[in-house]
Parts: sequence; C-alpha cells; structure tokens
Amino acid sequence: MAIRLCAAFCAAVFACVLAPQAGNAQALDRILKEKKIRITAEVTSPPFGILDKDNKPTGSEIETARQLAKDLGVELELVQVTGPQRIPALLSDRADLAISSLSITTERAKSVWFSSPHGALSIVIGAGKNVNIKSAADLAGKKIGMTRATLEEQVVPKVAPPGTNIVFFDEHSATQQALLSGQVDAIGGAAFLINELAKRNPDKGIETKFTVMTAFYGIAVKPGNFDLLQWVNTWVFVNKQNGVLAKIYKEHTGVDLVDLPPL
Amino acid sequence: MTYVFQFGIVFDHFPQLVEGALLTIRLAALAMVFGLIVAVICAYLRTSGPKPARALVAVYVEAVRNTPFLVQLYIIFFSLPAIGIRFEANTAALVAMIVNLGAYATEIVRAGVQSVPAGQIETGLALGLKRLQIYRFIILFPAIKAVFPALASQFILLLLGSSVVSAISANELTAVANTLQSTTFRAFEVYIVVTLMYLAIALAFRALFAGIYWFVFIRGRT
Amino acid sequence: MRPFSFNDFLFILDATRWTIVLSLLAFVLGGLLGGVIAVLRISSFAPARLAAAGYVQLFQGTPLLMQLFLIYYGLSLFGLRLGAWTAVTIAYTIYAAAFLGDIWRGCIQAIPKEQWEASRALALGYLHQLFLVIMPQAVRIAIPPTVGFLVQLVKATAVASIIGFVELTRAGQLMTNATFQPMTVYPIVAGIYFALCWPLSVWAQHLEKRLRVENVMGRKK
Repeated sequence: MAIRLCAAFCAAVFACVLAPQAGNAQALDRILKEKKIRITAEVTSPPFGILDKDNKPTGSEIETARQLAKDLGVELELVQVTGPQRIPALLSDRADLAISSLSITTERAKSVWFSSPHGALSIVIGAGKNVNIKSAADLAGKKIGMTRATLEEQVVPKVAPPGTNIVFFDEHSATQQALLSGQVDAIGGAAFLINELAKRNPDKGIETKFTVMTAFYGIAVKPGNFDLLQWVNTWVFVNKQNGVLAKIYKEHTGVDLVDLPPL
Repeated sequence: MTYVFQFGIVFDHFPQLVEGALLTIRLAALAMVFGLIVAVICAYLRTSGPKPARALVAVYVEAVRNTPFLVQLYIIFFSLPAIGIRFEANTAALVAMIVNLGAYATEIVRAGVQSVPAGQIETGLALGLKRLQIYRFIILFPAIKAVFPALASQFILLLLGSSVVSAISANELTAVANTLQSTTFRAFEVYIVVTLMYLAIALAFRALFAGIYWFVFIRGRT
Repeated sequence: MRPFSFNDFLFILDATRWTIVLSLLAFVLGGLLGGVIAVLRISSFAPARLAAAGYVQLFQGTPLLMQLFLIYYGLSLFGLRLGAWTAVTIAYTIYAAAFLGDIWRGCIQAIPKEQWEASRALALGYLHQLFLVIMPQAVRIAIPPTVGFLVQLVKATAVASIIGFVELTRAGQLMTNATFQPMTVYPIVAGIYFALCWPLSVWAQHLEKRLRVENVMGRKK
C-alpha cells in the first residue's frame, strides 16, 4: 500500500514539473536588482577554501569570490557546500556561481557552463613516507581514498592498475582524516591540498608521490545564464591583465600563477 | 526552465545499485543477529547480574541512546585509530551498528524480561534451577515473544539508519547513490529510485519478521 | 595542525546553537503538521485517512538521509530557490510530523470509546468531542513519548551534517580537520549531545512512571 502511495506521490511530482514554470529572469539583472550574489564556498579544501584561525572562511577561491562580488558592486553570500555539492548547488539555484576550484572537464561541461580559467592545479597521489608508491603501477593492492565529484575521482581510476582498491568519501575533510588516521594508504587530491596536509601534520610525514595530471579550473554558471557568464568572462579577463588573480593565487598557494589560456 | 527527467540513466547503472543494496541487507542482517545477542546478554546482566555489571550496562545503554549514531560511527572509524584500533570501513559500519542496536535492543529485551510473570520464575527457583538456567529456559522465550514487534521496529530503524554509513566510505546503497549522483548530476532521479529501493527492502524485512514470528512463536503451539 | 584551543571549543558550542534551533523548529512545525496528520488518521473520511496513513508509512519507512537529499536537491526543480536552512527545516518538519502524528494517533486511539459515546450523548459535535473531551486526555498520555521523540529529533539533526549544514556534528568535523585530534573532538561532540539529550530522556522516563501510577478513568494503562 505504501508503494501505491509512493506512486501517487511521484505522479504528483511529475504533474508539478509539467506545470508552467515561473519565467527565469535574466540572472545578472536579478543579482544586480537584489544587490546580492550567492557563490559556493568549500571550507575543507585548502588552500582554495579553509577556515582561518578565527574560524572564518578564507582561501584563494573564497577571496576570489569576495573580489568578484566587490567588483560587481553587490553583497556576497557564501553558500557553504561540500565537494559533491558544488555543481548541484549551482543547478538547483542555491548558488549563482560556483567558485570552488572546479576543474574544467568535458564531462562537467555537459551539466554546467565554464568561464575562462582563472587558476590551475595538479592532481597528485599523497601518502606517508613509509608508503612505497613511485608511479601509478605501485597503486595496485593499496587502498586509495578520494572525494566524490572531484577531478581526482574522474582521473585516478583511469590510471590506477587493476587491484587498486579505491574508496570514496563525501567530502575532503573525511578523505583527509582517513589518510591521517591510517584508514587508507594514500589519497588522491590537489597538490596544494596534499602540501597543506603535510604542513599541518609534520609528524605524519606526508609527501607527494607522483602527479596524475594538471588542469585549469574556472568559474561555473548554470546553463542558460548567458549574461552572467559573459560578465564573469569579462571579469576574469580584466583581472588576469591587472594581476589581481595572480596576487590572490600567490598569497594563498605560495605559487606563481601560470599563464591562463582563454576558454 | 523545465527539468527533463531522465530515469534511463539510473536504470543503466542498476547492477551497481543492486550491489549496494545487497551490502545494505547484509550489514543490516548481521547487525540484527549480533545486536540481538548483545541485547540478550546485556539484558541478563542488567536484571540479574552483579552490581558492577548492572551499572556498566546502564552506562553503555544511556551513552548510546543519548548520542547520535553518526557521531558513534565517526568515533569508531576516525577516533579509535588514534589509540591503535583500526577497522576497515564496512567493518566499522557493522561494529557501530551492532553497538547502537545492542543498546536499544537491551532496553526492549529488558522490558520483555521484566514482563514475564513472577510465578514462572518462582517455579523455576522451586525446581532448583540456577539463575542463568531460569533466564535461558523460562524467561527468554516469552520475553522475546512479548517484545517482538518492538524489536522488529527497532531493526527496521537500524536498516534505515544504516544509510549514513556512506559517510565513512562504506559502499552500501546510499554510497552508490551518491557516486551515481556525483557523476550524472541526476540527483532527483537517483534518490527517488534509491528511496523506493529502501522502502522495498524495509517491507521485505517486515514480511520476514512476520514470518519468523509465526514460525518460532505460533506454529505448532496453542 | 594546531592544538585544540578554547576558540575551537567555542566554535563547537556556537554550532550547538544551530542544533537546538533546528530541533525546536522541526519539533514545533512538525508538531503542528503531526497534529493534522493524527486527526486525519482517525477521520471517517477514507481518502483522508489513507493519505495520512500513506504519509506516515512513506516517511517512517525511508531513510532520513534520503529524505534530506531529495528535499535538498530536488525541491529546487520546481522553481523554488531555497536556502539551506529552509530546505533542512522542511525536511525535518516532514520527518517529525510523520512520527509525532503516529504517536499522537496512538494516544487518541487509546482513549476508551466510552468517552466518545458519552460526549456524543451530551450532543457534542465531532470537533467539540475531539477538542474538549478526547484531546485533553490524550495529551496527558502523549507527553512522555513526545518528549522521547524530541530526543530522537535532536540526535537526528546530526544527519544534516552530511549535506554540509553547519550544526554540532559538522562543527566537530571541521574542528577535527583543523586540529586533527579526533580522539578529543568527537567525544566532546558526543558529550554535548549527551548533555542535551539525557536530561530529556530522564524527564520522559519520569513522566512515564508518573502516568502509570495515575489512572485514567480508573483504568490502569
């Protein structure tokens, strides 16, 4: 009987969807009118998004978001998300922009629209110094942890040989804790994240084992928001030229920003 | 912008979902069996054991029943390794489920034990049976029969609560759903199908419990 | 890794505030909805009764995490732009209403039929019967299990941490990440939940004992 009611519930849901939707006001106009922009913030992904010693959000991506909101002349609302929620938050209109180190991939481009890249990262395998991993072949027989809905989730399984046990966590903090508590032998993640983890836990002796790939990341908008995407692209172009993006990047990652190609 | 539902994507990955469901069922079944064993032992200790044992069980039950399952899970998976106890994800999930169910079931079984008429126990004592034998032969059967519905409800709650073990990377049904969602971004379709799967599994367990009740307690008895 | 400082403890306490707010919001709103569900469940109008029964079966028979995911990710498909708080509050309200509605329905049905018949004999209409005669008695029976459910609700709010909602459990995760001392942080988190829940549990048990001693219409429950 519960099944029948579930069916009825689903039918009602379908009916609501087929009903005419409220028109989607142009995104940029709406943001300017409401004087508020909502941008995703991932606070467990150093150095892109972290909580500082006063437990306030900061990091290269969050500071980039602050700069963008300032240049647009609107108030910023940070929408805290976990890694797997970055794109869903965008698609479900809980955020207008996703500025959370979303690497540009053709797979993701099926669901979101990317701006020209504003940063770069590389995906590496990190582990304690006693773990013997020199290249992808050494992953066999080991347990590798990574976070869902990340670039490493897409690329590491492709290079890992059969016999590698890959486990997934819902977000970076759990993946990091798994490595630190020895629940996994190694983790895949951005090089910056591994370095930060190593720095914060000197007694664990974490080091980067090998690089899997490098990628550019960009700002994502929900498909359909042409006007917003156009403004964001212009903003990225301007701030590439005036060095602001490079400044924020260097300040939080300690590394010079490479030349960013246009999308 | 109207949303186009695409359930086809979900059904393409159905074998993975079934695999996840099988792990959910396996974890739940094992936890139910061992949780019940824990409960029977603890209920005995709580009612007829020595004073320190009673206190210990009381502390265990109250501690588990007043803290969230998720936090217990995190302690078992993330905190224990710091003192050298390391469980693999699925094992940690099972241990947490047994510990959690054991506490709730202890209370339920204890209520059943205390509902057995005193006359029965006195008869046992008159026949010279020891406390443990009385518990095993006279008390347990009617006690469990009396609280079977409450136990069954608690088991179903455990089954549904097991969906949070995905947070420590145990790859049961919810974890498969999350991975599927993060690769296809079809959150709504994936979660609706998985919710219906949980509903189906819960109904199946309920039917199983009804069958067990009949088989153990009703069949061949007046 | 910085040591676990007092600041971090304050962060956790601050997040406890959100756990309490969410629990109370869901309890009150879920209570209102649950009351409606309970009344519908005992109505003689079959579609209302079946709808309410289906509602309870659906939300008691599916994982809370799934309900959270569906409402958090799914509701926006219908053009609703909900903030995290709204989505989570809606989810927990629906969850609480299913359980509270079921508990209260049981309490209403526990009132002897004679009460309905006697008040009918006094020419009271259905609503008067329900609200003037039955409810006051049902409420007394309902208090212990309702307080017991509040404990369940407070614990259930921990699940919201999985979708990144900042409450006590998530604060624990974030602090463990910042300090890497899971052996310190999580037991503290557990301790705070215990401090919130145990007094309520004890109170519920106390209320239940008192109820069993007092009789209702001369009948022991």
